[in-house]
Amino acid sequence: MDPIRSLIHCFALAAVLLSSSVSAQADVDRLNTPALPSYRADQTLMLDIAKHGDQLLAVGDQGVVMRSSDQGQHWQQVQTPFSVMLTSVFFTDAQHAWLTGHDGLFAASQDGGMTWQKLLDGDQINRLRLQRLQAIAAELQSQLDAEPDNESLMMRSDDATWYAEDAAAAVEEGPSIPLLDVWFADQQRGFALGAYGLLLKTDDGGQSWAYWGDRLDNPDNFHLNAMMADHRGDLYIAGEAGLLFRSTDKGMHWIRIDTPYEGSFFSITEFKQQLFLMGLRGHLYRSDDGIDWQAVKTGYQATLLSAVAEADKLVLLGQGGLIIESADGQHFTPLDSGGRRSLSAGVAVDGGYRLVGEGGLLSLEAGDE
Amino acid sequence: MNKLSRILLAPIKGSEEFAERFLFHRRLPVLLVFAALTLFLAWQAVQIRPDASFVKMIPTSHPYVENYLKNRDDLAGLGNSVRVAVAVNEGDIFTAEFQETLQKITDELFFIPGVDRSALTSIWTPNVRWTEVTEEGFVGGPVIPADYDGSAASLEQVKLNILRSGQVGRLVANDFRSAIVQVPLFDKHPDTGEKLDYQALSQQLETLIRDKYQSDQISVHITGFAKIVGDLIDGAAQVAVFFGIALLITLVLLYLYSRSITGTLVPLACSVIAVIWQLGLLKLLGFGLDPYSMLVPFLVFAIAVSHGVQIVNTIALESARGADSWLAARRAFRALYIPGLTALLSDGIGFVTLMVIDIRVIQDLAIAASLGIAVIILTNLFLLPVIMSLLGIGERATQRALIAEQKQDSNWHRLTWFATPTGAKFAVVVAGILLVGGLYQGQKLQIGDLDSGAPELRADSRYNVDNRFITQHYSTSSDTFVVMVGTEKDQCSSFNTLSLVDRFQYYLTNIEGVQSSVSLVNVSKRVTSGLNEGNLKWRTVSRNQLVINASLSYVPAGLMNPSCSLLPVIIFLDDHKAQTLQRLTGKIEQFAAQHDSEQIRFEMAAGNSGFEAATNEVIGTAQYQMLAWVYAVVGLLCLLTFRSVKTLICIIAPLALTSILCQALMASLGIGVKVATLPVIALGVGIGVDYGIYIYSKLNTYLVQGMALPEAYLNTLKTTGKSVAFTGLTLGIGVVLWVFSPIKFQADMGILLTFMFLWNMLGALVLIPALACLLKCGATGIEAISTTEAEVKDVVK
Repeated sequence: MDPIRSLIHCFALAAVLLSSSVSAQADVDRLNTPALPSYRADQTLMLDIAKHGDQLLAVGDQGVVMRSSDQGQHWQQVQTPFSVMLTSVFFTDAQHAWLTGHDGLFAASQDGGMTWQKLLDGDQINRLRLQRLQAIAAELQSQLDAEPDNESLMMRSDDATWYAEDAAAAVEEGPSIPLLDVWFADQQRGFALGAYGLLLKTDDGGQSWAYWGDRLDNPDNFHLNAMMADHRGDLYIAGEAGLLFRSTDKGMHWIRIDTPYEGSFFSITEFKQQLFLMGLRGHLYRSDDGIDWQAVKTGYQATLLSAVAEADKLVLLGQGGLIIESADGQHFTPLDSGGRRSLSAGVAVDGGYRLVGEGGLLSLEAGDE
Repeated sequence: MNKLSRILLAPIKGSEEFAERFLFHRRLPVLLVFAALTLFLAWQAVQIRPDASFVKMIPTSHPYVENYLKNRDDLAGLGNSVRVAVAVNEGDIFTAEFQETLQKITDELFFIPGVDRSALTSIWTPNVRWTEVTEEGFVGGPVIPADYDGSAASLEQVKLNILRSGQVGRLVANDFRSAIVQVPLFDKHPDTGEKLDYQALSQQLETLIRDKYQSDQISVHITGFAKIVGDLIDGAAQVAVFFGIALLITLVLLYLYSRSITGTLVPLACSVIAVIWQLGLLKLLGFGLDPYSMLVPFLVFAIAVSHGVQIVNTIALESARGADSWLAARRAFRALYIPGLTALLSDGIGFVTLMVIDIRVIQDLAIAASLGIAVIILTNLFLLPVIMSLLGIGERATQRALIAEQKQDSNWHRLTWFATPTGAKFAVVVAGILLVGGLYQGQKLQIGDLDSGAPELRADSRYNVDNRFITQHYSTSSDTFVVMVGTEKDQCSSFNTLSLVDRFQYYLTNIEGVQSSVSLVNVSKRVTSGLNEGNLKWRTVSRNQLVINASLSYVPAGLMNPSCSLLPVIIFLDDHKAQTLQRLTGKIEQFAAQHDSEQIRFEMAAGNSGFEAATNEVIGTAQYQMLAWVYAVVGLLCLLTFRSVKTLICIIAPLALTSILCQALMASLGIGVKVATLPVIALGVGIGVDYGIYIYSKLNTYLVQGMALPEAYLNTLKTTGKSVAFTGLTLGIGVVLWVFSPIKFQADMGILLTFMFLWNMLGALVLIPALACLLKCGATGIEAISTTEAEVKDVVK
């Protein structure tokens, strides 16, 4: 080997070692710092819960992942190599589970949630986005070079350049964009979505990702809050400022659907083959086809954050401990949880519900009605 | 050894001769000087005022307290505040009448001197706001709307605003039946520099708030350190009544004992003079009376009476032997000068050892008590015999003394059994069993306060009732521990700081006894979520510094300092038991060791539990230091006086047994070692040694005359035994009344001191002869004391 080059290698290696040892000392970055175990982990702010068979996974603040293999009778905190706030969790089968968090964290488990590997963070996302947006800007620039008089092209090119510059600034700023939801079709194909119009797509179980946010008609980069698939296999994304997108080709192309509301949607769900879209200040809408939406009056003003859809019952969860249920999707009655703490998500289990929120894990027995 | 002690004792012997001549040859001038001094000091004493200071009750050189004092100005509002809860007895707080009352009370509190007006909060102050998210963005305002008019509609608005303000559980009770006015106080007024007058403040809270607004519909509950101190001062003042009672009982007992009017009134008067002098001198030296040193006059009185009794007893004996009152008094002075002085010196030095404890109230107590002892030397050792030499003991008392000495078949005879080998062995075996039992039980002794609420006061006191009300109806605990997180200037709100503090607060949840914690991080997280439409998924520290800055545009007082280099983390605890605090400080130390760097430091501690943790640490170590000192000093004094290790054992062993049993008693009664109870053992040992010294010196006199131990002991008992028993009784009476004090720690002190005084007496009467018998002491003791007496006689000639 060329002696000079090997010398450079040596220096580079030394530099890497040095920098890593320095950062190991000062680095308490929550993306790489393991979550602290706590005997009161079940009282941590919890944001999402997912179910597969008897298995439950709940995720929340401080990188806390709780696992139950008996439908939530007993819970155990799972070791995780990160301590950012986790925002969503999703099962594809008994082994494969996925989660997202702040600072652009995406992690996967192949053993039913016992161990987790970080596959993506905000720095990588920023670079992915920058590459994609720079590529678009370059493409438009070269088109513009070909037809310099095309005014609409010029505007689109200017916009694209602006987005690319914005993405470049974000790279400098660091991994500050949170992922807010995750949805997987199977063990390979899935999406992660988040703040400021962030949408990512993977076809290899999260090993590599494509920036997909430019496929949405979301020029103001509003937050994307929730994603779901209906019984037809159509995909929906609900977001800030009345945003709703639909894809009928497994997420390749997305169209924006007009909704009758300007505020944020936090969740979308399907109940008795009808779609329900819910959000800020108790706004709830219902649709048969995902295109036309009618308001449903629940009589409650609290923000709706999530829903649990069963075969014969729809339960909506929200701020201030709101729990309301309906058998027909039209008329809602309150289910008293006995608390004022906001609820973020829930699943149905035998004989009741397991809910998560401000107070951590919460059990609601069906008998509590 | 002999040489050394002779040198050391020379000044005492020399002074005896000088003092005796001076006192008994110039009686009138001496009396006049005493009278003048007494008048002057009495005039001083009446001016003495109750006093209590926050800083005095905590160990100021403990690192925790140093850290607090360093950041004291920045922590204003955290250290010292009062909470006034206004409750409705029926219905809820959403009525025009209640809101009017709450407003008036808020205003009234605003104008009370010492209140930090800018930080005063209630739902009626403009700094308490609600916020909410709408489609248009973030909106907010004061909880009481600008157009509030008391109508049903505006009350409904208030209700809504309270729910949106996040104040439920803080300023408004969880059941909406009461509301709190949070009143931060200035320890020292920033403009005038005036010290906070706790007593005045506490009284104003009573008269301006409680008395004025409490009614059938409204009840007022007040908690906070200032209120505790106010109640303590008020409660301590009631102790004056106990003093009167103790005086009367002592009077009766003294008469029954001496059957002499002068023999009753003179010691009593001299003892009262001692108390007057002690108080007057304290005032002259610039001290006030805090609830701890409030007890010193009792001790001074009791000790003074007990020494007075010894002297009167000896005068009666000398009179019985035919001396006139001048000679009898002078002989009594000579006989008791050395044992009396030694006993008083050991008392005084025993108290001085309390100075090793780095807590001002204990040091003040030590000063006050030592001062009192010094004064007793003058009033009861000097003045009392002089007065008695003028007035005489009286015929009846002389007759009684004569009869008592000649009576063969007295009850004391039974006690001499302990001076025989069989009885001695029995006594020592029983003592050994007690020792083992005491040591076993004493292991359960705990450091710190064990009761909830304000442990200084009784569980059923108004304060603790109020405190229970607030802890039951609100979400905040009254036991707070503050960790001060220091950063570089302007870095208190940086992402790195906040995310580490966030982790720290989560780390705390894994510590048993921690309920919750609050810091700037909670504000940032809550507002960040608010800025994102209240979505819980955003309730975290944003990595975007601009978002953090926006989230901290309004920060409640006390969560960061103006230069943004300090953010306190306020930890709410289940209780303030020593174990809880120790666990907490240990865990925080671990975290600090791992994470402290040039950029950030986690420093303990402020908050009432923080100070308690510091106090516990100081007391935990001081406890053994103090015991070592007090025993070393008392032991040395005994050794110097009697010049015999065996005698030393005879005197010290009963004391040590009592100390150990006292600890066992504390463990059994659930009394922890704390500021109030720590001095008790030093006081107990210091005073308890008196019995030993008096008994042993008398015993020696008879042994010198060649009597066998049982006979010598019988004679000792006949002459001194009665006065020793009486001494134990007077000391016990002096302190036993404290048990009825409204202040819990005074009651604890009362129980423990009574126990120690009585047990020390019993130990002295039973164990000294037993140990003397088994150790076969006598020879060295006889030789030593006889030389001393011979020398004294030489000098007198």
